[in-house]
This record gives sequence, structure tokens and C-alpha cells, in this order.
Amino acid sequence: MPMAFGIALAVSGLLLGLGIIGFAIRAVSDGFGAHGPWGYYAAIFSFIFMVTGAAPLAASIFRVTKSHWRRPLTRVSEMFSLIGIFNILLFIPLMFVLPAFRNPNLTPLAENELDLRRTIWFEVPIGANAPQWLDLLGIACLALCALVILWLSAVPDMAQARLRATGFRRSFYGVLAGHWHGTKSQWLNQKAGLALLGAFYFMLLVFMQFTISSDYAQSLIPGWKDSIFPVIYTLTGFQSSLGLMLVILFVLRRWGGYKGYIGISLFWSASKILLGLTLLWVYHMFAFGITYWYGRLEVEQNILKYLLFQSYGWLFLANLIFSFFLPFLTLLWNPVRRSDWGPALAGVFVLIGAFLFSWRIFVGAFNAGDVYNIGLEHVPAFVGPDLWDVLIVLGGLGGAVFIYLLGSRLIPMMCVWEIKEGAMYQHMGTFMRGRYLVLAKPE
Amino acid sequence: MQEGRVLPAKEINRDLLRSILTTPNWYWVTVAVMAIIVLGAMSAAGLMINRGMGMTGLNRPVMWGFFIVNFVFWIGISHAGVMLSAILRLSKAEWRRPATRAAEVLTVFSLMTAVMMPLIHTGRPWRLVYWVYTLPFVPYDFARGIWPNIRSPLVWDPSAIFTYLTSSILFVMVALIPDMAVLRDRTTGIRHQAYALMAMGWQGTPRQWKLQIISGILLSALILPVFVSVHSIVSWDFGMAVAVKSWHSTIFAPYFVVGAVHSGVSAVVFVMILLRWIYGWENYIRHEHIDALGRLLIVVATGWFYFFVMEVIFGFYGREADEIAVREFQFTQPPWNLWFIFFTGLTYFLPVSLWLFKWTRRNLWIMSIACISVNIGMWLERFLIIVPGLAQKQMFTFTWYTYAPSAVEITIIGGTFAMVTLLMLLFSKVLPLIPLYDIKEGDMLKTEIKIGRATVPAVFRED
Amino acid sequence: MAKRPILGLFEDANYAAEAGDALQEADVSQDDYDFLTDAPYPEGAFGEREERHHLYWFPFVGALVGLTAGILMTSMTQLAYPLVQGGKPILSLPPMAVITYESTMLSAIIFTILGIIFESRLPRPKMGLYDTRITEGYIGVLVNVEEDQLPKVSALLTQAGAVDVVLENPEPAAA
Repeated sequence: MPMAFGIALAVSGLLLGLGIIGFAIRAVSDGFGAHGPWGYYAAIFSFIFMVTGAAPLAASIFRVTKSHWRRPLTRVSEMFSLIGIFNILLFIPLMFVLPAFRNPNLTPLAENELDLRRTIWFEVPIGANAPQWLDLLGIACLALCALVILWLSAVPDMAQARLRATGFRRSFYGVLAGHWHGTKSQWLNQKAGLALLGAFYFMLLVFMQFTISSDYAQSLIPGWKDSIFPVIYTLTGFQSSLGLMLVILFVLRRWGGYKGYIGISLFWSASKILLGLTLLWVYHMFAFGITYWYGRLEVEQNILKYLLFQSYGWLFLANLIFSFFLPFLTLLWNPVRRSDWGPALAGVFVLIGAFLFSWRIFVGAFNAGDVYNIGLEHVPAFVGPDLWDVLIVLGGLGGAVFIYLLGSRLIPMMCVWEIKEGAMYQHMGTFMRGRYLVLAKPE
Repeated sequence: MQEGRVLPAKEINRDLLRSILTTPNWYWVTVAVMAIIVLGAMSAAGLMINRGMGMTGLNRPVMWGFFIVNFVFWIGISHAGVMLSAILRLSKAEWRRPATRAAEVLTVFSLMTAVMMPLIHTGRPWRLVYWVYTLPFVPYDFARGIWPNIRSPLVWDPSAIFTYLTSSILFVMVALIPDMAVLRDRTTGIRHQAYALMAMGWQGTPRQWKLQIISGILLSALILPVFVSVHSIVSWDFGMAVAVKSWHSTIFAPYFVVGAVHSGVSAVVFVMILLRWIYGWENYIRHEHIDALGRLLIVVATGWFYFFVMEVIFGFYGREADEIAVREFQFTQPPWNLWFIFFTGLTYFLPVSLWLFKWTRRNLWIMSIACISVNIGMWLERFLIIVPGLAQKQMFTFTWYTYAPSAVEITIIGGTFAMVTLLMLLFSKVLPLIPLYDIKEGDMLKTEIKIGRATVPAVFRED
Repeated sequence: MAKRPILGLFEDANYAAEAGDALQEADVSQDDYDFLTDAPYPEGAFGEREERHHLYWFPFVGALVGLTAGILMTSMTQLAYPLVQGGKPILSLPPMAVITYESTMLSAIIFTILGIIFESRLPRPKMGLYDTRITEGYIGVLVNVEEDQLPKVSALLTQAGAVDVVLENPEPAAA
């Protein structure tokens, strides 16, 4: 184990431990009765879920589009499946803090109050509680689906590794890849399985991002009716997950000994998609902002002031800078896109942007006041983190990194079979006086 | 993705310039029929302008009807060009080659047609002159007793459409220069003079080609954000209004854009099938191209469906009585509910189920049905967005009727379809609808890779 | 002595590339010959000189011009009509942003088009030596040499496999 890797593992493990302490103290001091104190917990859950939930999708999408440059990226992407389990664990406490559908102060109904809070679960019986179990089920299905994709993709590599591995790894690979012999039908089934599961994962992910962004953000701010918000949430997830993968690929290329496998063409191609996602992100934000700005209803004005211009104004500005301006200005230049550091730098920016986004939205939503009110009647104040919140946030980040690092010790970070396949399908060829890339099965 | 054989340049010229250099009998008959329909529509518009808006079915509170529906529809179709041309160019999709030109041209003509609709809808289009002769700084002045809303989204429309139309025309014209040179070399007399003028002395030097290729990519990247803005701005004509329930939705902009791409790409597929059929371009517009477009359409349609579901869900989510009343109007009251069922079936469920299988995607009849179905559905979608919202009782509305289009409106709408067809036919008589050099380049770069006993199609790539 | 053009026509692109090699060996400067084709060959396919251009500056300059014009036009219009509508500020940024965005993009695109035409060295009122067979798939090798070099270059082109060598346009000024 290289020393840097060991240090990273130890630090992330330590942070996870601190996070657990922060969580325990928060639970003991505030309990699960009110959702306000759990804003930062929800924000870090959202950030990790948003980024790591979307990450495994990259492999599936680029396989479907037959993008040859994807090959060194696929395993880096699929490895995020392991964090799905962490997402489930992180979500469980949130189940207990979501306010009930039914207004507890129903009789007598105060003016400007709703009997049922706004929710996407329309036909819910009056007496029902919030749909936490449905969200949990969805997150669990998502994690399971991602793990199956990882397994299916890693089987050929593990089958190869089982012959050379010793000890625990040998039996681990033996169990997981025992049936694999690389027959034609096995390859066909594997590819069909990956495509189908990828499509299923995509649909499930978009649905879960819709439910989480609605249940845990939008429905907690009185009068916030914003049909574009789930789309923005999903886009932020796609953008930040691609950013994170570019950062990891940069680290692997520079210091992980994978320079021969991770070419510049990957950064060049992926950065164009990151630029596209960045533009889409700001476009959707503008569509939201201008509709509310132009509508000029009191509730809309208050929500704009709360989330965009006053209470969380500085966070929004930072969010805009990191999610749009900095990555846009970085990726606008072709020579920068054609480097390894440029896209990785943009990746760092969008990751910070996504974190600020989760902070702004979820801490804002958890502290917006009475969820049974018809609309936001005043502009609530900004809520800063206390020490336990800081520990919780660090712990969440540390936990995700810790699991990913552990996973990288067991599963090869490069998808060996896909890289071998890629070598068959592309080589440099001569056309008249020039040398060009010859690409089989072009998209 | 590489079927078909490599064709010599001479044969490509002969095949793709056939529509220009020879004229079959059916051509003038079709042109005449379309011209008669267009003339009929122009007469109807003239009658309406002469007699007044009472000739239409528009009445309080539904003051936006077929004209505006048709405006949004044609703006939607115009999104095909850039979607196919720009996105597929940027992603270097090999199968784009025969589709780009027809798509770009369809963009230009449908946009021109769309622009006419609000002009006719104004009832007194000559009043536009007030905008023009005092522009740019004082379009109206307060002294006339008119209080213009210079912050209105209706001001954004002309700026976006003007930008898009200008850009699209320039985009098409630049890409046409090398093909003009081919025509210059194949014609004589006044036609030769005209093509020579438009070819600007093109020789086909490496420098000119390099700039031509870069321009395709650069202009694609520049026009893409314009194309997104155009339909977004059209959607904001509705979305900015708080008074009409069901319109004031934040998702309207991307929802409209994706819907436009859905209808536009379907229209392009249909046009390509027609071109293959009427000009015998089997070697150029091949089943593989239609198949690829079918697969792309599954993605686009499903994206559209996602936005549609979000729009509907958040209509109910607000739990506002007057918005739910509009939704109930759409979903439960005949004939709106029947239209709604038709709309969802025709826009999504029928075509997507037809696109799911390779054999259906490669059957041109089935693809034609699916693409026409999408466009009928998308026309209905715009109708169901605009009219029920307005037809519902609003605050301060003292009188209201439901809306039924008049014969004048139906004639004018029919005329727009004939007009786009006519313009496409006229274009095909003077300029090639498939870019010759793009086809030649695709053929030139084709190669193969041997893997064991298998031969896999491949291409040379510069990067 | 003035330079004169000579055009060799090749059926096979490889022969045209060989002609390029031969010209280079014969000390003809790369600036003095060009390959005329009917389709874009990959860059460097003929071993030709690298073409430099400044096209990428055009959209930036255009965007800057459009941005400035958009900001000026929208802000001045709003200030010229100091009428409060729907509680919106007199100088409202979001509606300004929409129009300014369009003017920026329009100007960027128009400048790009101008850039493409300028950088392609078009329009060329006098086309010079040309042959219509080029748009039929023949490759033209257009060489500008001193008049006394013409026979040598002609022989060189023929030797490389030219099916025809042209010294004059067959008909007056094609363009």
C-alpha cells in the first residue's frame, strides 16, 4: 500500500469517526422531533447522494453512446456504487425528522394554514405519515442496482485476477467471478445486462432525485412550487459527479501510475460534456429565477430573497461562481480542455458548487419555518453551522472517501476487459501522408 | 453504422444534383397545388384583416387560439435543424451527414412561417411600422397615449427569432458554398453566373476546407445556445403570466425546448423519408440513418415525457384551487380529456413503442407514421397548453365562451403547412438538400479494421 | 519574372500527394502550390503546409460588440421609459439579460461568418486557373512558378501521374 494512499485512508477514517461523534451529539442534544437542527445533516446527505448516485451512470451512458474515450472512466464511475450503502445508512436518520403530512395544529385551522402540507404524494390518506419508507426503498433499490452493475462489469476482471491473487482476495474473486469463463454467450449476456441495468438505473435515479429534492427540500419551504427544481437537482448531480470523476482520473493519471491508460482524449471529450452540463445548469437556474422574478407574487419574492438574494445570498453567489462562472471560464478554452489539469480543475469547481448548492437549499429548506403555511410570509434568517454540524459534514465526506478508497483496494480501478476491447477497436493508421486515429464502430 | 457502398464523386454529384438539373412532371404539379393552397390561405388572411378579428373564433377570454398554437408549433419544428446539425456535428456522429442540410433548411422555412403567425394574429399587422420607423431608441412615445411595456416577454420574442433566423440562414449559406461551387461547374448561362456569385470563387484549397470544417463546429457551438433561448423565450410568453393558471411554471422553458426538438427531429425524419422516396436517394438516406434517428428519438421523447410529467405533477402540487380546476378541465371534461388522451398517445406512447424495435425503426412506413403521429400530438400539446388555461374562468372575467376555430383560421393554418412544403420544394430545385461534400468526406474516411476473422467498419479521425 | 499558374489534375489522391513530394524535392516553396479538392481531406493528408488562421478571435470580438450594444440599447430604452410595470424596477436586469444575450450571440455569429469568409480568402473576384473536373472528384495541384519553370513543373506533374496539365482556363473567367 503506497504511503499517500495509507494517509488518505487514515484521514478519511478519522473524519468518519468525528462525523459519528457529531451525529451522536446532535441526536442526543436535539433528538429527531424537529427537522430544523438536521439541516446540515440533510445537506451533506444530499451532496453525497447527488454526486455518488449520479456517478455510476456515466459508465452506462457512455457505453450506450459507444464513446470509445470512456474506457478508462467506466470503473472509476462504477466504483461509486459502493457508496450507495453509505447513502442508505445516511438516509435512515432523516426518515425520522421529516414532518408529517397532516398538520398537527389542524383544529382549529389557523388562517393561511394547510390541513396537509404540499407534497408530491397526492393521494396519501389524511392520517398517513410522510413517505420516508418509499424514499428509503428507492435509495436501497438504487444502491442494489448500482452494485449489480459494478459486479457485472467487474466479473471478467475478477476472473482474471483470481488466478493471481492470494489469501482473502483469491476467495473473494473466486466467489464473485466463479462462473465466468468468458464464453461468447457470457459476453453477450454481460453486455445486454449492463445496458438494461444502466437504463433501469437511469430511470430510478432520476425518480429518486425527484423524490429527495421534493420531499426533503421543496415541500419544506412553504409555498415553494417549482417544477424545474428536480431538474436542477438532477443536473447538479450529473455535473458534479462528472467533475469528481475527472478529479479522480487526474489523480490516477498523475500519481496513480495509470498515465498509459488514461489519455488526454478522455479529458478532452469529458470536458466538453462538463461544459455542456455547466451551461445547462445556469440555463435552468435562469429559467427558475426569471419566472419567479417576473411573477412577482409575494411568496415568490420571499423565496427569491431567502434562497437567492438575501439570507443565503452570499452562498448563492458563491454557488453561481463555482457551478457556472469558474468552470465555464476554465473550459471555454480548447487548450485547457485538452489538458488533464484543466478539466480536473473545473471538476473541483463544480464539486464545490454542488456542495454550496446542497448547503443553500437543504439548510434553507430545513429552517424555513412552519411547513403547513400556505406561503413564506417573511424571509427567514441564514442558519450557520455549529461545531457538531461541522463534524457531521466532515464525517459524511470522510465516510464516502473512506469507502471508495477501501473499494479501490479490492476492485481494479481500470476496467481491464473494456480497455483491451478498446485496443482492438482503435489504432493509429496511415491515410495518404498523415497518421490518424482509426476508430471501429464509430458512434 | 456504416452500411452502403462507397460512391465515386461523379455519381454523388449526379444523384444529389438530379433534383436541380432535371425536373420531373410531378414537381410542377405539386408546386402548383401547394401554391394554390398558399394563395387560398393568403386570401383568408386578407379577408380576416379586411373584416376584422371577428372572422376568427377568438373571443373573450380565449384571445390566443390557432394562430398562436401554430406559431409555437412551427417554432418547434424549426428546432430540428440545429439539434441535428449542431449536436451531431459536435459529437462527430457519422450518421449525421445526409440529414444536416434538410434539417437546417427546414429550420429556416418553418421559422419564417412561424414569424407570420403572430403578425396575422395581430389583426392589423401594418401597425408594426410604428416599431420600425422610430427604432431603435423611441419605438413609441408616451404622447400617443400608449404605454408600452418594454419589459414584456413579447419584446424578447422578436429579438430571439431574428437572431435565430439570421444565424440559421447564415449557417446554411456558409455550408452551401462548396456545393454552390459544384453547381457552378455543372451549369451554364445565368444559372452559372448566379451560382458562381454565391460560390464566391471557391476552389477547394486545404485552407478553405479547414475553415469550412471549423466553421461547422464553431457555428454549431454558437447557434446551440441561441436555439435553446428561442423556444425558452417563446415559453416565457406564457410562463411569465401569473393570471392564467397552468402557465406560470418554472419548467416551461426546458419543457418547450425538448418538445420542440421532439417534434422537429420527427419532422426531419419524415422529410428525409420523403426525399429518399421522391428523389430515389436510397444510397444516401439509408435505413441505418433512419434507425439511428429513431434511437435518438426514443431518448428525446423520453426526456420530453419527463418534463411533461414534472409540469403536470407540479400543477397539482401547488394545491391551488383555480389551477387544479384548469387541470381537471384538461383531464376530465370532454372534449378536452379526449384530446388529452390523443395527445399523450400520439406524442409518446404510440411512437416510442414503434421505435423500440430495430425492424420497426428500419421500416420506412412505420417510421413515417410514428413521426407524423408525434407532430399531430405536439400540435395538440400546444393547443392544450394555450386554450384550456385561457378558457377557464379567470378573476375579473365578466364573460367567457369556449373556443372553436373558424374556417378562416383553419384555412390559414392549412396554408402554413403548404407554404413550408412549397418552400422546401423550391429550395430543392435550386440547391442540394444533401450536402455533397459531407457525403464525399464520409465515404473518403471510411475504412475497416480486421479483428480475427471479423471485419469491422471503421473511420479515420483527425483527433 | 512574373509567376504563372499551372494546374495538374489527378484521378488518384495518392498521386497528387506524390506530386506534392516531387515539388518539394524540386525546391518549389510550399506557399507556391495548393491542392484543390471537392471534399475536405484530413489535414496533412497531402503533406501540405499547415494553415494558420485567427478565426477564433472573431466570435470573441463579435460577442464583445454585441454585449456592449445590448447593454446600451436595453438600459437606455428602460431609462427612456421611466414607467413602473408590475412593481419591477425601472432598470430591470432580467429582461435586459434576455435581449443582451440575443444581441451578444447574434453579433458573435455575424462576426464568425465574416471571419470565415475573410480567413478563407473569399470572395475571389478572379478565380484564376481552375478546372471543373475538380468538383467531379479529380485532385488539382495548382502550382505558381516562374514562367521558365513551367515545362519542368509540367513534366514533374505528368510524371507523378497527372491525367491532364492545364495552363489556361478553357473558357473565360468562370467566376
